[in-house]
Amino acid sequence: MPRLELLSEVQRSMLRMFPCVEHDDSPWTPMRKPLSESRVALVTSAGLHVRGDRPFVMGGDSSYRVIPRSTKTADILQSHASIGFDHTGIYRDINVTYPVDRLQELVDRGVIGSLGENNYSFMGALRDTSEVVEQTGPEVAGKLVDEGVEVAFLTPT
Amino acid sequence: MLARCFEEAGISTTGIVFVKEHAERVKPPRMLWVPFAFGNAMGHAGDAEQQRHVLQAALDLLDRQQGPVLEEYPDGTAPEVLLQASAAGRSNGSPALDPADEVTSLRPYYERWVEKHDGRTNVGLCGVPQRRFRGVVRFLEGYITGEQQDAPDRPGDVGLPQYIRYCVDDLKAFYYEARMEQRPDVSDDQAHEWFWGDTAMGQLIVKLAAHMGESDDPETKAIPYGLAR
Repeated sequence: MPRLELLSEVQRSMLRMFPCVEHDDSPWTPMRKPLSESRVALVTSAGLHVRGDRPFVMGGDSSYRVIPRSTKTADILQSHASIGFDHTGIYRDINVTYPVDRLQELVDRGVIGSLGENNYSFMGALRDTSEVVEQTGPEVAGKLVDEGVEVAFLTPT
Repeated sequence: MLARCFEEAGISTTGIVFVKEHAERVKPPRMLWVPFAFGNAMGHAGDAEQQRHVLQAALDLLDRQQGPVLEEYPDGTAPEVLLQASAAGRSNGSPALDPADEVTSLRPYYERWVEKHDGRTNVGLCGVPQRRFRGVVRFLEGYITGEQQDAPDRPGDVGLPQYIRYCVDDLKAFYYEARMEQRPDVSDDQAHEWFWGDTAMGQLIVKLAAHMGESDDPETKAIPYGLAR
């Protein structure tokens, strides 16, 4: 996103007022082995899901969707409720938000060890993230651990 | 918030953020702040080289020994402000088509787009096949006039206002994808100008949003802001 001072007054004000849970520090998991030996999964808050799955809904949807890595990009839809982003980018190229082709290239080149069995998707721009923090986020973390994922790459929309 | 959940579970994380001011408050462990427009986290559509560069810059943060790390991606991009329906100029040309006829006229372009992109399309939220979109248009028209209280294809577990949002999102995707096939060099901003300024569908959605905005039902009233932006 451009610097706040470059945005319209409405956008600038909306973003400044957007509720965020503040922290003084960060949890930190150091890399246990080189990226070239690590398993990576993609987690997005872009409201993506597999065609046929229940779309996300407006009004604070804290649920998540599983997107198996084998899913063809033709079978991935976006039902994000936010009104503040341009959909034309993802219409043209899903990699602008969900860089599966770019990640696969890195696996092919040996930069990344492997990709997880599943990727995961949430709805971003939530004004209340408590359910994600307390329930659905840890639930997905547990699934990633079970699937041997060591690195999560996160994208917004 | 997700990055914090995952790190606490023993997973190293990195990724992309758009709003530096939010990341400074939430403090995810490692994030790359990009200057691109919302909706384009990895850079420009179709620019694989740029996307590779952005991805590598984010993955490089995994080498850091301590955090939080909030790195700025060096790029001079200053994206255009997203054009809203209210800001689009109205065409002075011939009167707009009937929106259902307009859908039919755009169908060959849409189908060619999908074929060229190996089936990739963002149409599919409302569950009605695009070949039956004339019926969706007729439903929306009837909803505005009060002749239709409900959509025949609406799943029972999806509320009507939310279903209307899915219908509109599908129609928008159909139109934009058709336009990108019709005018392969169309910019994002030109596509918005065309949709909101020149199409009968854009006008129908603006009317629909106004109609829903007059509702006393909070769920109905919450939807239109997202329809005609």
